[in-house]
Amino acid sequence: MEFQDYNPLEGKMYEVMNKDGKLTKKEDLPDLKKDELLYLYKTMLYTRVIDEKAISYQRQGRMLTYAPNTGQEATQVGSAYAMEKGDYLVPSFRELGAWLVRGVPLKNIYLYWYGNEWGSHMPEGVNVLPISIPIASQFSHAAGIGMANNIKGENNVAVAYVGDGGTSHGDFHEGLNFAAVFNAPVVFIIQNNQFAISVPRKKQTKSQTLAQKAIAYGMEGIQVDGNDIFAMYNVTKKAIDKARNGGGPTLIEAYTYRLGAHTTSDDPSKYRTDEEVEPWKEKDPLLRFEKYLREENLIDDKWVKETKEELEKDVVATFESIENKSDTEVEDIFKYHFETMPPQLEEQMNDYLEFLEGGK
Amino acid sequence: MRFEFKFPDVGEGIHEGTIVKWLVEKGEEIKEGDSLIEVETDKVTTDIPSPKSGKVLELLGDEGEIIHVGNVFVVLDIEGEASSEDVENLSAAGGGTKDSFDEADKEKKLDEKEEVIEEETAGVVGEVVVSSEEIPPSDEGVISRKSTEEKLSKKALATPVARAMAKDLGLDINSVEGTGPGGRVMKEDIQKAKDSSKEKSQEKIQEKPEIKREAKPLQLDEASEGEGLYERVPLTRIRKTIAQKMSESKFTIPHTTVMDEINVTELDKFRKKYKDILREEGVNLTYLPFIIKASITAIKELREFNSSLDEVNEEMVYKNFYNIGIATDTQRGLMVPVIRDADKKSIVEIAKEIVDLSTRAKDNKLELSELQGGTFTITNYGSIGGHFGIPIINHPESAILGLGRIIKKPIVDENDNIVVGKMLPISLSYDHRIIDGASGSRFVNILKELLIDPDMLFLKS
Amino acid sequence: MANKLNLIGAVTQALENELAEDKTVVVYGEDVGVEGGVFRATAGLQEKFGEKRVFDSPLAESGIVGTAIGMAINGLKPVVELQFMGFSYPAFNQIVTHVARMRNRSRGRYHLPMVIRAPYGGGIRALEHHSESTEAMYAQIPGLKVVIPSTPYDAKGLLIAAIRDPDPVLFLEPKRIYRAFRQDVPEESYELPIGKAKIVKEGEDVTIVAWGAMVRDTQAAIDMVKEKGIDPELIDLRTISPIDRETIVESVKKTGRIIIVHEAPKTLGLGAEIMAIVNEKAFLYLEAPPTRVTGFDTTFPLPKGENHYIPTPERIAQTIEKVVKY
Repeated sequence: MEFQDYNPLEGKMYEVMNKDGKLTKKEDLPDLKKDELLYLYKTMLYTRVIDEKAISYQRQGRMLTYAPNTGQEATQVGSAYAMEKGDYLVPSFRELGAWLVRGVPLKNIYLYWYGNEWGSHMPEGVNVLPISIPIASQFSHAAGIGMANNIKGENNVAVAYVGDGGTSHGDFHEGLNFAAVFNAPVVFIIQNNQFAISVPRKKQTKSQTLAQKAIAYGMEGIQVDGNDIFAMYNVTKKAIDKARNGGGPTLIEAYTYRLGAHTTSDDPSKYRTDEEVEPWKEKDPLLRFEKYLREENLIDDKWVKETKEELEKDVVATFESIENKSDTEVEDIFKYHFETMPPQLEEQMNDYLEFLEGGK
Repeated sequence: MRFEFKFPDVGEGIHEGTIVKWLVEKGEEIKEGDSLIEVETDKVTTDIPSPKSGKVLELLGDEGEIIHVGNVFVVLDIEGEASSEDVENLSAAGGGTKDSFDEADKEKKLDEKEEVIEEETAGVVGEVVVSSEEIPPSDEGVISRKSTEEKLSKKALATPVARAMAKDLGLDINSVEGTGPGGRVMKEDIQKAKDSSKEKSQEKIQEKPEIKREAKPLQLDEASEGEGLYERVPLTRIRKTIAQKMSESKFTIPHTTVMDEINVTELDKFRKKYKDILREEGVNLTYLPFIIKASITAIKELREFNSSLDEVNEEMVYKNFYNIGIATDTQRGLMVPVIRDADKKSIVEIAKEIVDLSTRAKDNKLELSELQGGTFTITNYGSIGGHFGIPIINHPESAILGLGRIIKKPIVDENDNIVVGKMLPISLSYDHRIIDGASGSRFVNILKELLIDPDMLFLKS
Repeated sequence: MANKLNLIGAVTQALENELAEDKTVVVYGEDVGVEGGVFRATAGLQEKFGEKRVFDSPLAESGIVGTAIGMAINGLKPVVELQFMGFSYPAFNQIVTHVARMRNRSRGRYHLPMVIRAPYGGGIRALEHHSESTEAMYAQIPGLKVVIPSTPYDAKGLLIAAIRDPDPVLFLEPKRIYRAFRQDVPEESYELPIGKAKIVKEGEDVTIVAWGAMVRDTQAAIDMVKEKGIDPELIDLRTISPIDRETIVESVKKTGRIIIVHEAPKTLGLGAEIMAIVNEKAFLYLEAPPTRVTGFDTTFPLPKGENHYIPTPERIAQTIEKVVKY
């Protein structure tokens, strides 16, 4: 495939596999080995299980606010799998599948949503930035990472994510513009899940597609079926390769759907009907990929069942390893603002510690 | 009228430019809008047009030189008086009045020329002050802070409330010992310090037994007070002083008084003999100058009458000068002006001075110094009436001589004849702590000797 | 070797030194490259170090700061220029939500060795938004250091320290005195400690804390009261955050009095914080109420009114007398 064949102004969307798991573009089937395919499926399933469990824990009062990913697993896993060692992942906050692919331990992820900063302490070698809640602000970070690669003469790539709502933001514009002006090796991915909390995509912009916004920055943009793992992988891979080879940034609009709520505090029934959601359930990226793999005889019921059980066990064990054991150390609140703690901060910490000791 | 045109900010934050070419000549008549100069700035090379019509008087700067924004570079002779706009124009950049402008601007020009070499344009928006002023090199790491420990130890730690309290009570808070946390001066400490300073002053006073007594308000029958039987009048300042001085004397000095009568018949004759003559000279010759003279002779012989007792150091303090206080009745109350060095003055001089002092005392025109420094006092209550009295010593002097009214009395003369004599009653009070009764009597004897026989007075005084 | 530099020249030299010494230092912002910055702080640097390390950016403050975050994460030491403090607010979100938080948020996994330079303060007869002093807004952000030099020597030493600092520094330059005077400045690199105030002048009667252009005006005020036998101690704060409490408190313990002079509005200005520190730490030494001489709680006036706004030596001197006589 070539980006120019999918001019977003013409409303074209790139797809390799349809909702029934049938290849519509056989020639574009990525060259992935069996264990790679199984890994992708397993990671998508892992994402799904982590979500389900997290929501369940939240409803049980064991977990705080959580932003589920259900329905967007292919977008996340497919794009991140195209990344290579040394590349930077610059997330928004709904990229669970991508984080897992890039090596963020579940423990970190759960710790973060559990309410502890150590969740964002990525292991060394895992080039994943912390979750960025200020919408779209991370786009210029990605541009900066890319610019730094150019300055240093390194060929790493930054992959940044934003939602459809984020495209309305000034920082979306500034990030894309900087990356384009400086030809920074960055891939910008919009997870267009059709909703910014309750506001539908069409209220964010009058543009026909989000991908076409790329044109204004002088960069390539493409709309992709975000529920198609192969399409997501291919497009991202192509954009990454281009960036790595000095071709500059690309904007990818992953056309997907948020099957769940914005967060556990959100009730989607207030702004959308079941009838509206139903067709998207049929397009579930996990189901679609599963159909394909079954068709190819790569997996069967037993494998799926055992794999799911295995993942569930892991998720439960991980959650239990942090549950009730992850209260913030008081010193940690103070220790990480500067390399060296200023005297006033030290004094505040000591005063408080003294108060706590006195209170015992 | 002279118009000085300053190199303008050409609108883009330019702060200097290089003169490429003068486009006018000295003496040339030009019109507003005519190009004066071609200047090359960092950004552009541009012509600068004249803001006024007139004759070119001066062109400041040579081609190739750098000129700064705000510097005068062209002087024109233009028509008319300076308008307020011109003045503003002048003062805005030069920072001076129109009159002082020329000088100030010249200085500025000189200043800036020196550093023109390397100064760059300053900015795109606004006008950054450009100056070649030099500030001293940093003393980073050179000045080491003086230890404040020493100074701190002198400073009291205290809350603002405590400081205010000390201030109100007239205490230096730095002198109050603090007993609070870390040596903080507490309100209680200040109260304590105040109390103890009161005690101290009371202790001092207690050495003087008379202040033992505490003043109590005068108790009156309030009911009748309300009926106008009493009238409360606040004491005048002078009365308060008199009261205080009298108490101080009476309660400090154990007084004793010796009384006698002196036959001044001869003295009277003598006085009358010269009285009229001297009156023509404006002198009122009374007995008093004679008595003063006699007293000086007496106190010169009996030094303790011209002394003070230093109670604290337990010493007698003899005075080798003779300043005689004359108790004088005035409308406002008793005053005691002093005749200084009366021993060195003649009787006439003393007579004159008495008149002068008493007149001015009555007119309240005495200087404070004329009321101070007495060593011995004479009170002439007899001038109004009265025979003997018990005068109160003018503390810290040691004695006072009271004079009663001279009256004619039958006396027995040397030949046992009853004759009429003019008798002066005297009452001498003295400090019995330092003057014994015998001395008192001796003093009286000396006075008698000198006043009975005027010749003796002149021989001995 | 020493050279006589004005404050802007010292900034340029600091950048030049660090660009030469550390290959990871990059300098960019609006007009920073070819033009050398609107105040010429980066004049000549692009020629010397090339377009890769000294360059113009698009006109977007949030983007400038945001990209600097990415660069700092990716191993560079960006020094970005915001043309005026009044234009820093589009970047405020980046500064508050990311610049100041990245280290804490990631528990030290990421830190941002970056410097944001911005000219600040009034008195240059500029347009709206070109004159304000909102340092207190930034000083309240945990995780951000805020530095303001007042002399060429300090500007160079502090900027080099800021560039070498492993944490982000907002470096505010008092533009009114960019070119107001020169000073001997060593040509070689040197650092002055961030977080340390400087006692400009020792004195006994009252402590005065000032920073930026107000240091000079305060010195003028001190000269005015000297004739009256008043001997103030002058502290140049130099670092706005974290404040050097010790130097201020020790001084107040000596003098018993404090005046804070700042250009910024009075309410919730840094003076309020300094007064609070003094109350907490030197309460028992105070002989007069801590007092401020500041701008007003108004919008900074346009040029025809700005002379009323900025504290003058006369205003400062009058306050000194009042406080000393209290």
